[in-house]
Amino acid sequence: MIAWRKSQARAAPWFLLPALALLAVFVVWPMLRALAWSFTNADLLAPGQGRGIGLANYSDLLADPRFRRAFANTALFALLVVPVQTAAAFLLALWVNRPEPAWRWLRTAFFAPVVVSMPVLAVLWTMLYQPAQGREMGLVNALLGLVGAPPQAWLRDPSLALPAIAAMSLWQGVGLQMMVFLAGLQGVPRELVEAARIDGAGAWARLRHVILPALRNTLVFVVTVTTLLAFRLFVQPYLMTRGGPGTSTLSLIQSIYETTFVAQDLGRACAAAFLFLLLVGALALVQRRAAREERA
Amino acid sequence: MRAIAAAFNAAHAAHAAQRVRVVLTFFPDFHYTEKIAIAAAARDLPDVLDLDGPLVARFASAGLLRPLEPWFSAGELADFLPTILAQGTVDGRLYALGAFESAAVLYYDRAMLAAAGVAPPPDGRGWSWEEFLAACARLRRAGIEPVALHMNEGADEWFTYAFSPVVWSGGGHLISADGRRVRGVLASAENIRSLRRWQDLFRQGFAATDPLDPDPFGHGRVALDWSGHWMARSHAAVKGDRLGAMPLPAAGAQPVAPCGSWCWALTTAAREPALAARWLRWVTDSRHGIEPVVQANGAVPARRSAFAAFPDYARPPYRLFRDQLEHFARPRPRTPYYATLTSQFAAALRDIAHGADVAARLLTAEDEIQSVIDRREPAGGTAVPPAATGETAP
Repeated sequence: MIAWRKSQARAAPWFLLPALALLAVFVVWPMLRALAWSFTNADLLAPGQGRGIGLANYSDLLADPRFRRAFANTALFALLVVPVQTAAAFLLALWVNRPEPAWRWLRTAFFAPVVVSMPVLAVLWTMLYQPAQGREMGLVNALLGLVGAPPQAWLRDPSLALPAIAAMSLWQGVGLQMMVFLAGLQGVPRELVEAARIDGAGAWARLRHVILPALRNTLVFVVTVTTLLAFRLFVQPYLMTRGGPGTSTLSLIQSIYETTFVAQDLGRACAAAFLFLLLVGALALVQRRAAREERA
Repeated sequence: MRAIAAAFNAAHAAHAAQRVRVVLTFFPDFHYTEKIAIAAAARDLPDVLDLDGPLVARFASAGLLRPLEPWFSAGELADFLPTILAQGTVDGRLYALGAFESAAVLYYDRAMLAAAGVAPPPDGRGWSWEEFLAACARLRRAGIEPVALHMNEGADEWFTYAFSPVVWSGGGHLISADGRRVRGVLASAENIRSLRRWQDLFRQGFAATDPLDPDPFGHGRVALDWSGHWMARSHAAVKGDRLGAMPLPAAGAQPVAPCGSWCWALTTAAREPALAARWLRWVTDSRHGIEPVVQANGAVPARRSAFAAFPDYARPPYRLFRDQLEHFARPRPRTPYYATLTSQFAAALRDIAHGADVAARLLTAEDEIQSVIDRREPAGGTAVPPAATGETAP
């Protein structure tokens, strides 16, 4: 037994090697290169000729109104999306969590937008949000008209564009979280729910005191993943508004993309990417910490 | 394109000693510019590169392109349209030549104008802005949608390409002559006035800010079409004799036409530039390069000697394409910051069309563009010798 364990220990590095080598070449090395560039004024077209400029890229970015606006937009998007999407996914999961086969269709319907390519959905929703022009208007405005509300220029109005994109993103992403919650719900021991029912707990009490506590890990997972995905916002605003009107839907990723490929300012773009990495890493850590404290 | 390369390789197979062979690498058009930037960063550029005209200055100022004068005689260069030479010239050196040019015009449907009692201008002349707005108003009163501006174009470049002439014809510029300063240039009084006039088209409901139909003119839904040479074939097929074309309306006294196209450049990666230049000469040669390309893509031939093969150019609307390129077209500014300039200008135009305050929006664009320039050009841009962008002298 001991000999077997020893041979295992000896073999382990060899089994790890291919994965570690690939990670080193395709993840660690590029990240170190990017980190080194972030302290220079390297030009994308001539990266070798950059000069070291210390932390100037970082201090510059933190003071840059455009980058700060991109951060504020992205954070606001996350604040709009994460709580609502999590709650909506949970309610949908409760609703469709039934054994009869007919409910499968509904589950599929809610999940469908997750598997459709985002650019297609972006074009589709741009049409739905079409502002009124003469008698022609998008479906959203037409529906508003049915209840007597005036049409809105959804994606063209600085105060409505980000919420409109958040609503579309929520619709697109909610199916995935719903599936995770469904899996969680089906893992709740039936005996527990039945016991609560026999003890006279109503539907609300069962939900509050039995189902939710059993789903805590699922909930933490869903909130963490939704937050990280929300901060990676890019495709929807890039295709639907190009970050406009003004900078009202400019996302962090779009600002990094533009610094890299439009301004072609490689050093600054790498610095921005590292600030983004720090931000997302910090968020993940904070949420883990919060989850652990609740469990204790 | 493959056929042109095959012909080149066949013609040069005899020179076995020199081993000249063209290997074409096609990329999907999507994000092509990003892809060649990455290739430059990885020092993996091909010997000869096809790129969009306004990007030549960026690649040239990064030292990635070779001047082309050694490979073309003065007589050969004089055969190219003036706009092709202007587009490829940075800091007084020629870095790129295209096989074809482009044109944007105001197409019109004679029958629809007649129905609204609007008279088109004499052949070859355009409308002043007042005449343009008056025509739109008459069309509207006759129950006809006036004009399509194609605001649904996904690419930023359409906006800069199609609507810079509004700025230019109003006496303004997008960027200073050295291509390094937009402050005080982009948000000038002239530009604010010109773009307010442009904004009137949307304010008064003459043009759609969010059209869905990519070709409302071809579908008979609007009377005027602010569009490019690439629509000429299909418009002519649909409209026949009803199709007319005039230069774009001028915001000031003189009309200015847009121009520019994809063009070929010789990179510093070419170890044997003389051999690489052969391909460049071949692909910009009237018979071997321009004729087949123009047959295929319907663009405007880049050399005067090539027009003989295209009898359409004796007639409108094609004659107008050539006339404006010869006489009153202006290339987009040649500045290493073109990519930033065009994306910010396009964003400003989108917002202005949707009702943003013109002066404030142009100032914001100025700030955004200038901050990108200033990061690269410490203390007023002494790092790189100033380039003439051709913004001031046509």
